[in-house]
Amino acid sequence: MTKEQAILQAIALTLAQALVLLAVSPAIVGLIRKVKARFQCRQGARVFQPYADLAKLFRKQPVVSTTTSWIFTATPYILFASTLTAGLLVPAFASQMPLNFAGNIIALVYLFALGTFFLILAGLDAGSPFGGMGSSREAIVASLTEPAMIMSIFAIALTAGSTNLSTIVHKTALLEGIVTDPSPHLMALAALFIVALAETGRVPVDNPATHLELTMIHEAMLLEYSGRYLALIEWASAMKLLVFLSLIANVFAPWGIATTLTPMALSIGLAVYLAKVAGLAVLIGTIECMFAKLRLFRVTDLLGVAFILALLGLLFFYILRG
Amino acid sequence: MSWLTPHIGTQLVDLGSALLLLTCFAIVAQRRLSACVDLFALQSLFLAMTAALVAFLTGTPHIYFAAALTVLVKVLVIPRVLKRVIERLNVTRELVMNINVPASLLICGVLVMVAFFITQPIMPFGHLLTRDSLAIALAIVLIGFFTMIARQKAVTQLIAFLVMENGLFLGATAATYGMPLIVELGVFFDVLVAALIAGIYTNRLQDAFDSVDTTRLSELKE
Amino acid sequence: MTVDYMTIAVSLLLLPPLMAGGLSLLITSSRRLHLTNLISIGTLIAAEVAITRTVLAQGSVTAFGEIVYIDALSSVILFIIGTVGLACSLYMRSYMDDQVARGVIAPNRLNLFFFLFHMFILAMVVATVANSLGVQWVAIEATTLATTFLIAFWRRRESLEAGWKYLILCSVGISLALFGVVLMYYSSLRVLGDVSSALNITQLQQVAAQLDPHILKLAFVFLFVGYGTKVGLVPMHSWLPDAYTEAPAPVAAMLAGVLETVAVYAILRSRAIVDQAVSPEFTGGLLALFGLVSFALAAFFILLQHNYKRLFAYSSIEHMGLAMIGFGVGGAIGNFGGLFHLVNHAFAKSLAFFAAGNIHRRFKTVEIDQVHGLVTVLPWSALALMIAGLALAALPPFALFASEMQIITALGTSGLPGEWLQSGPRIPVIILLFCSLVAFAGVLSRITSMVWGVPPKDVPEGEQWSVGHIPIILLGAVLLGFCWVLPTPLRQLLDTASAMLVNR
Repeated sequence: MTKEQAILQAIALTLAQALVLLAVSPAIVGLIRKVKARFQCRQGARVFQPYADLAKLFRKQPVVSTTTSWIFTATPYILFASTLTAGLLVPAFASQMPLNFAGNIIALVYLFALGTFFLILAGLDAGSPFGGMGSSREAIVASLTEPAMIMSIFAIALTAGSTNLSTIVHKTALLEGIVTDPSPHLMALAALFIVALAETGRVPVDNPATHLELTMIHEAMLLEYSGRYLALIEWASAMKLLVFLSLIANVFAPWGIATTLTPMALSIGLAVYLAKVAGLAVLIGTIECMFAKLRLFRVTDLLGVAFILALLGLLFFYILRG
Repeated sequence: MSWLTPHIGTQLVDLGSALLLLTCFAIVAQRRLSACVDLFALQSLFLAMTAALVAFLTGTPHIYFAAALTVLVKVLVIPRVLKRVIERLNVTRELVMNINVPASLLICGVLVMVAFFITQPIMPFGHLLTRDSLAIALAIVLIGFFTMIARQKAVTQLIAFLVMENGLFLGATAATYGMPLIVELGVFFDVLVAALIAGIYTNRLQDAFDSVDTTRLSELKE
Repeated sequence: MTVDYMTIAVSLLLLPPLMAGGLSLLITSSRRLHLTNLISIGTLIAAEVAITRTVLAQGSVTAFGEIVYIDALSSVILFIIGTVGLACSLYMRSYMDDQVARGVIAPNRLNLFFFLFHMFILAMVVATVANSLGVQWVAIEATTLATTFLIAFWRRRESLEAGWKYLILCSVGISLALFGVVLMYYSSLRVLGDVSSALNITQLQQVAAQLDPHILKLAFVFLFVGYGTKVGLVPMHSWLPDAYTEAPAPVAAMLAGVLETVAVYAILRSRAIVDQAVSPEFTGGLLALFGLVSFALAAFFILLQHNYKRLFAYSSIEHMGLAMIGFGVGGAIGNFGGLFHLVNHAFAKSLAFFAAGNIHRRFKTVEIDQVHGLVTVLPWSALALMIAGLALAALPPFALFASEMQIITALGTSGLPGEWLQSGPRIPVIILLFCSLVAFAGVLSRITSMVWGVPPKDVPEGEQWSVGHIPIILLGAVLLGFCWVLPTPLRQLLDTASAMLVNR
């Protein structure tokens, strides 16, 4: 294979992954809504309804308050771009991402943090009381999830001996040279799952389905947005959810992912990936129906659990294998 | 079964112990009493599964027996008794705690470390199936011990005691492939009777003090 | 031939409480309940005498295929169970009937009391004769379960509280001991292989020197903390004063006199094994340190008490601490003194609680300030209280003086064991003497104020003779007598047992 061919292949693979992320993420949101609806004995909207919603929003004219600065209009683009970039760092259906030179697991965390940061600023920018409230809450949640996320990711990175996601996933998928250590892994998985729920604003932490001022976190920051800006943010949120699901699915159970670039392996990888992500989405939907949203002050308890679990995962590694 | 190599078997036992520890943390963080009971039942189920796995891997049939007893006593009977006790009481959750949840979790994390350091010198000895199980067992015992101090409701304290017992059983199964059968039976009998007695006590405490809050138990002083 | 004889004797040790317990649930008449109880205890003592003779002749006895193992040490404990059990049974005849007559308990609850009492004795006997450390653990946990309702038998708020604390604290403590047992098994499996007899004392004693010292150290710490909770050593003692105050007098006597002793026995048993692999300095240091702290702290708490039952409870902690110092220091004198102290304390403490029970029934208060003039109100109980008090203060004509002197002598000769306790014998002896002075002052000042003075007007005077006075007189006489002459079989037994405890 010549150098040009390799570059072309890499570009093709990156584009393919971006396409998958963009295309699948609204469906995941739709699937969760459907699962919840079914649990509540409702028919529910179609799984593909979010596509229609996005399309509608893109057609509408956005209204921007005159009191806002450039941050307000830039935020949707920054959020969308950072989330998509983060998504490209996480192996989805092929274990070795061409962009893996560009960033590792830590870059992933900070790409998410960048988006969150701008969203918080934008929430404050419009000067509405709800926006400020949502921003301050989001800041609390974000500052609590960050350490837990970093810790759990470190625990995984240590067991795999690399911070590069592609390497971690690839090695685990091939069972090559890695002793899968169940105890640190399990702790990290539990922590990361809680982090994922908190970061993507799912039920025990935030309720994505409500605009009740007393409880909302994520939605409160978006209240001033409309039209294509809102569409971009909604899409970015959906992608963030999908990226987290991919991360959990592929880091802890990478089996079935394409470890070579043959068309056969890639198609199997894609099918398995979709199945895994759909399964996790169903799980999240179920959890959302089983648990009530926590009071804001109780969120610290939950995130405390996540942090301690992640810390333990790390400690298990050091104490046992040190 | 060819796929169940000793290596994978060890990892599965490890996984089982880690699941037990995980439910332990969930119990510490949980405030609703009935959810605590459910978590305890779940933990016991994990315990039984781990024990059955050890029995299969080591070919010691009497551990199957102990696993079956665990399911009967700790997954079915005791949670049901506890549920009934909770139903009769007018409490559903721990409202005031001696030590709040995040602090408790941190302390439990430290306890896990302590357990690992204590058992570190004796890990290399003996025919352990896994390196972690004994340490995790001690960690569960210590966390149970701590929960008894940190929580006020009689029911929670009882659950914490049972969690300790689960830790002990895990230790006995993982480190020694089960105690002699007569001891195992005796321990089960003791645990069952202790749980029943404590259940009766909580009812009587409720009648006498209108509460199962053990901080109310302060009539006896120097 | 001897094997059969021993099997019968051991069965006679275990069956009477079991059968009596079952029968008690069926019998309703109070007279028959007491009769069953006395027959059961009587048979138990007869079996003990037979076993003790064999033990003295052969060294040790095993029965039922090594399930039961009895040597001189277990015989001493059995002796205490039997004698204090008998004393309590006689005392209960007047005490419980009086409670029923006064309507404190419903007559139909009497059989529950006796059932639990028999189960309590059974559990203690099993703990003492069990060959397996695991079975021993099960039996000691069973004593907790049997006694928790005995402590809460009056069903008042306070007694419920005491019972709950007792149940929770002791169960938790005991759980830690189980972890110790697991570790012990873990270490012995490596030497003995995967056999179910690997927890048997007989097996462990043979291979003890080959066991891994790290594991044994850890195991002993858990066992010591666990059973130490049952003994009531500081800082695991907080249940003890409450439980002793709220329990009916005979139960308190059994708890203080016998149950603590059985828990000490469990510690000594595992210590004998651990000491062969680990330096005795380690276990001895642990025992002596906890003993000294318990002794000192309890002595000061005695000074603060205004409730006479609590006073005796703290005195229990004090004396158990003292016995622990004796065992910790070790040597022939230390161990002998410790064991002898256990025996004497059992007698003195049951006497004290019998007297306290009588006083409580008459004065209806446990406050020391409200009890005066016992000499005119309850002359016999006043005498018993004086004897018990003087004995517990370790004054010369009583046996506790002798054993306390032995322990102090041992401490004075060898000092505290363990490298981290090295300070020469002088300082610990001074601490010990000072604290015993404090305890002495505390006990005596309280008791004299109760015995002398003008009785409150509403308390009727005069004490009727009852069966319950027989054990009081006998125990008093024994306490006085043991200081001067120790019966030869008992001396032999104590000698053999303490020789067994001396390692290296």
